[in-house]
Amino acid sequence: MKTIKYLIAAAAGVVGLTAASARAQEVVVAGAGGVLAQVTKDVFETPFTAKTGIKVRAVAADNYLARMKAMQQTGNIEWDLTEATPETYPVMVKNGWLEPLDWSKLDPKNEQPASARATHGVASAVYSTVLAFRTDKLPAGKTMASWADFWDVKTFPGPRSLQDTPVRNLEFALLADGVPPGDLYKVLATADGVDRAFRKLDAIKPHVTTWWKGAAQPIQLLASGEVNYATTFNGRVSALQADKVPVEMMWNGGSLNVQYVVIPKGAKNVANAYEYLKATYLDPERDAEFTKKIKYPNLDPRTLKHLPEDLGRAMPTHPDNVKAQFTFDGGFWSERLEAMQERWAKWLLQ
Amino acid sequence: MAQDDEAGTGVPASRRRGNRRSVGQPGLLLVAPALVLIVLFFVVPAAQVFVTAVWGGDGFTLTHLHRAVAEPVYGRVLWRTVEISLIATLACLLVGYPVAYYLAQQPERTRQRLLFLVLVPFWMSILVRSFAWMAVLGRQGPVNGFLQWTGLTDAPVQLLFTTGAVALAMVQILLPFMILTCLNVMLAIDPNLTRAARAHGATPLTAFLRVFLPLSAPGVMAGAVLVLILAMGFFVTPLLLGGPRNQMLGNLIVTQIGDTVNWGFAAALALLLLLATLVLIPLTRLVVGRGAGSTGRVAP
Repeated sequence: MKTIKYLIAAAAGVVGLTAASARAQEVVVAGAGGVLAQVTKDVFETPFTAKTGIKVRAVAADNYLARMKAMQQTGNIEWDLTEATPETYPVMVKNGWLEPLDWSKLDPKNEQPASARATHGVASAVYSTVLAFRTDKLPAGKTMASWADFWDVKTFPGPRSLQDTPVRNLEFALLADGVPPGDLYKVLATADGVDRAFRKLDAIKPHVTTWWKGAAQPIQLLASGEVNYATTFNGRVSALQADKVPVEMMWNGGSLNVQYVVIPKGAKNVANAYEYLKATYLDPERDAEFTKKIKYPNLDPRTLKHLPEDLGRAMPTHPDNVKAQFTFDGGFWSERLEAMQERWAKWLLQ
Repeated sequence: MAQDDEAGTGVPASRRRGNRRSVGQPGLLLVAPALVLIVLFFVVPAAQVFVTAVWGGDGFTLTHLHRAVAEPVYGRVLWRTVEISLIATLACLLVGYPVAYYLAQQPERTRQRLLFLVLVPFWMSILVRSFAWMAVLGRQGPVNGFLQWTGLTDAPVQLLFTTGAVALAMVQILLPFMILTCLNVMLAIDPNLTRAARAHGATPLTAFLRVFLPLSAPGVMAGAVLVLILAMGFFVTPLLLGGPRNQMLGNLIVTQIGDTVNWGFAAALALLLLLATLVLIPLTRLVVGRGAGSTGRVAP
């Protein structure tokens, strides 16, 4: 057994050595794969390396929370930068898994809006969870304009799909029940408010034929005509429209979500990570280039100025669209997720 | 992990005894690499998972296990997991046994060719096959198209997102395991035994029921246990094809690992799933064993 132990230690040492020498001038960025990775490479990574000489190693990842926890537990921090969704960001902060940011270094001229300057993250991408619907399945002369319409199964019959989570669905239910967007989290913070949301969900439950889990599902369901109405993300709707599927989305009552790019605590190349952030998400011109390809802009109002007018209107951060939506509160959910998940699982089985 | 020699290998007892005699020290060396791999990458991590269930940041705790047992929703989901797994296992048995029997009767070359067909689905990932089922069973899919074309229905029938859809897809995925396991045992049965029964005046049915079926029971048992174990751990299929009531315990474990990052509770649920599977295995063998063996013992 001892021999094996030494062998493993030796092998780990060799791997560690090569990894360390390769990491001398690089920054490891963990993100989603696919189209997003390609655009990130073209717009952010290649110009950044050309300018600074720092190599960018992009790694495709999922299950960020679980991986961050595992990295912190084992002390082997593989990433220098990664994404944190509005749901996962507060959890990472609370558990102390993130490096605090020095904004005097990131934004010395103080040009970013206060909302973008989070203590442990750079607001990198704003996206919306919206209702999307098949325009060819709508009753003649009618269109969905509010969550109350989504609940109105007499005027708008047909199968629906929502995400399999209490997060945002309780908000949507309260909006449908007439709660003003500004009061959402005040109402949801009370037991009565939660009961009210679940009661409202009771009414729509029989018409929700499937509760989606992965982000690709609602798109597939809408494209195949399996459901007429589904919640999804604004960027995905644009992709469907580009594929000539007759879908439209409703900004009204959408959830405005702020995603962050964060530095895991104990990351090996923090200085390089700062350089990368400054040259990418914090550079409005670069971010506008990114946004032209994928409609998830940062919070900097200057980004929109670099975009053509019609494209700017299609952004979740356009002032008109911001007004129509509510701002998702990830901190609110991180306190309650565990208990709410349990209630949700129970409710689904009923 | 579940099959011991008696049920699992399908090798007649006499041959097994012969094997055991030849396993000496060199035999142990042969299994050593596999053993090291299993211990390092399966036994140790699995043990760690279960330690997580009772050992948190504050030392020993029973809160996770208590919550898994005391909160009725997890028991209910577990029961649904067992239910759908048993349905899938039974269906695999009913469909797979006759196929294996047919294959066993074929000459070697035909059997090889047919076996190839049985294995073709293995080349496709479960995810792809689940999406294929979504297309087939969908409101605008071929099945609904056919139903409407024949006038049996006017509007699309909800086939997708039902228990039936989940069971159907699970059977398709698990069937090859059942067929291969049964076939393996059937091929080891001496065909002369059935012939002898026929020569002594048994009808083909009696010969099958009293000679072939009891002799193939170990294969049926092994197949049923294998399929059941695999079925209990399913989660992609119910996720994509099932409705809200087709949640399996695997789905809830994923939520606990990825969303709420409560690994202690995830481990407790995993432990619950393992215990349920461990209880089900002897039960399955009891039921299947009695069903197949009750028609009588074969005299040597």
